[in-house]
Amino acid sequence: MTSLLMAVKSKMYIFAHRKARGMLIGEYASVFRGRSLDFDDLRSYVPGDDVRDIDWKATARVGSPLVKRYVATRRQQVLFVADTGRNMAATARGGETKKDLAVMIMGVIGSLALGHGDSVALVHGDARAQEALPAKGTEGHLERLLRIIDAVSLKSGSSDLVAALEYAAAHYKQRMLLVVIADELAVQERCAKVLRRLGAQHEILWVQIDDVQLAGAQALRGPGQDVAAMDTVLTLLAQDPGLVGDYEAATAARAQALADLLQSVGIVMTRIGHTEQVVGNVFALLERHRRAH
Amino acid sequence: MALTYWWVLLAGAAAMAAVLVWIWRHPCRSADSTPIAHADRLTALPSYQKALAHQKRWLAVALVSVLVLAASLLMAAARPVSESTNIPEQKNRDIMLCLDVSGSMIDTDEAIVGVFAEMVTAFKGERIGLTIFDSSAVQVFPLTDDYEFVAEQLKNAKSAMSGSADSFDFFDGTYEANGSSLIGDGLLSCVNGFPGEGETQRSRSVIFATDNMLSGKPIFTLPEAAAVAAKAKVRVYALNPNDFGSQQNPMEEALELKTAATSTGGLYYALDSGEAVNSIVHKVQATEAAKLQGAPVKSLSDHPGLPLGLALLALFGLGAAVWKVRQ
Repeated sequence: MTSLLMAVKSKMYIFAHRKARGMLIGEYASVFRGRSLDFDDLRSYVPGDDVRDIDWKATARVGSPLVKRYVATRRQQVLFVADTGRNMAATARGGETKKDLAVMIMGVIGSLALGHGDSVALVHGDARAQEALPAKGTEGHLERLLRIIDAVSLKSGSSDLVAALEYAAAHYKQRMLLVVIADELAVQERCAKVLRRLGAQHEILWVQIDDVQLAGAQALRGPGQDVAAMDTVLTLLAQDPGLVGDYEAATAARAQALADLLQSVGIVMTRIGHTEQVVGNVFALLERHRRAH
Repeated sequence: MALTYWWVLLAGAAAMAAVLVWIWRHPCRSADSTPIAHADRLTALPSYQKALAHQKRWLAVALVSVLVLAASLLMAAARPVSESTNIPEQKNRDIMLCLDVSGSMIDTDEAIVGVFAEMVTAFKGERIGLTIFDSSAVQVFPLTDDYEFVAEQLKNAKSAMSGSADSFDFFDGTYEANGSSLIGDGLLSCVNGFPGEGETQRSRSVIFATDNMLSGKPIFTLPEAAAVAAKAKVRVYALNPNDFGSQQNPMEEALELKTAATSTGGLYYALDSGEAVNSIVHKVQATEAAKLQGAPVKSLSDHPGLPLGLALLALFGLGAAVWKVRQ
C-alpha cells in the first residue's frame, strides 16, 4: 500500500502537466555532475538534459535527440535529511501542516529519483535521537520514508535539524545528493560548521518550508501556540505597526543570514510555503543547481 | 461593625478559592490555537517583549480588579451593619408661656421671654405659644412651630416688656375687666389655648409666671383653674419672683400657687432674681424632656458604602484593563 506516494504523484499530475514532468526528470538527471564511463542505455532527450550527454550519432540515426545514460548516474543515492521534531507539526505559511508539505516535497523528489533509478535514504530525528534509514530504490521504501515524516505530531520531541545534519556528516562517506528539508532555521555557528563540512562532500539541495507569518498583513489570526515551549504566543499583539516593522526587519535579517551561509557553501535553496508551490519550486531548484555548476 | 450574614463571606471565599484552583488546574488552552514553529521570530523581539509586559501588567490589573470586585461584593452581600442603642428624645412638646403682665411681674416676664427667644432656635418639633394676662388674657400667638415667627414675636414682647418700645400697644386688651392679676382666669385662658387631644400624645406644659397677688374678683379661682389644667393633662410650672416667705412662715399666696402647680404634676419655683430664670426654665425643659423619653431602641444601620464604592472602583479598573488589553 503506497497511499502517501500515490497522493504525492496525483498532486504532481495536477500541478505539472506532462511536458513539464518530463522536463522535471531531465532537470533531475542533470543534478549529478559525476559520470562513469560505463554506458548503460539511451533515452530520448528531454529539456534540461546536459547537452554533453546527447549521443549525436544515435540522434542522427533516429532523427530525434537521444541522450546517453551511464551506470554511475543510475545508482546514485539521494539522502533526505529531515527534521521529525514537533516543529514539523506546526503550521506552514500557506496554512497547511508543515509535515504535509515535507511529505509532498520528499515524495516529488523521491519519485523523480526512483524514476531515474536512484535509491533514496533518510536521516531524520529530533533533539533526543537521530535515525538513519538505508538507501533503497523501491516505491515501498519511499512510502516508508514518507510515513516516518507523516507520523510527526505535537507529541514528538523538540526539533533539532542541525543534529540530523551532524549525524549525516558523521555517518556517510560516499558522495550523495543531500536533500535537506528545513524550515526557517536561525543560523548559528554550529549550523554553519556542519554545512561547510557537508558541502565539501555532497551535492546539497536546501528546501525550506516557510513558517507561518507571525506579524503583518498575512499573519496568523487567532491564538497561537509555540511548539518549542508549548506556550501561548500573543498574536493579537502582532498587529501593532511598530512591532510589524521590527518583525519584518528581523525575519529579513534571519533569511539573509541563511541565504549568505548557503551561498558561501555553494548550496542552492528554495522556499516553499504552499502545496501549489512544490512542483514549480523544486523544478526551479534543480534548474538553478544545474546552472550553478 | 458586624456582618449580618457572615456565612456569605465564608461561602463566597470558598467558592472563589475553588474557582481559582479550578482555573489553576485547568488552564484554558483554546482548542483551535495554531501550532507555531520558530515562534522566537516574534517573541525574541524587544518590542514584543515590551508589548507583552504591557499586556501582562494590564492583565494583572484586571485580575486584581476582579478579585477586589468579588471580595467587595461579597462583603456587601454579607451586609455590614453597626448596632446602636439609643433613647430617643421626643420632641413633641407643647409649651405655653403664660405671663402675668401686672406691674410687679414685668422684669420676670422679660427674663422668661428672653430665655425662650434663645431656646426656640434649638427647637425641632416643639410648639410654643404666648398668652399674657392681667385683668383679662390675650393670646399673643397660639401654639406654633413657626420658629421664625415665634422668635420675632418674642423679640417684640421682650422690647415691650423692657419698656424700650414706643407704646404700650403690646399690652392692649389685658385691662378689659375690673381688677388686676386675675390669676385663675389667666391660667384657664392659657390651658384653653391647647388644642383638643389628637391621636398623637404631645406633652403639654405651661410656664406660668405670676406672684399670685390677686386684686379683683376672677371668674375662676386658681385651684379651679388648676383642676381644669390637671384634667386637660397640662402641667403647670409656676415661677414666682415675689415669694418673700420662708420655710417656716410661707406666704399664703405663694403656698396657694405651689399647691396649684403641684396638683397638675408641675413644679413651683421661687425666683430670687431675674438671672435665675434662665437656669430654672432650662431645668423645667429638661424635666419635660425626661418625662418624654421613649423606651431604648436598638437600631441597625447598614454600611454598604465602603464595599460598594470599592466594587465600583474595581469595576472601573476592570473596564480600563479590558479596554487596554483588547487594544
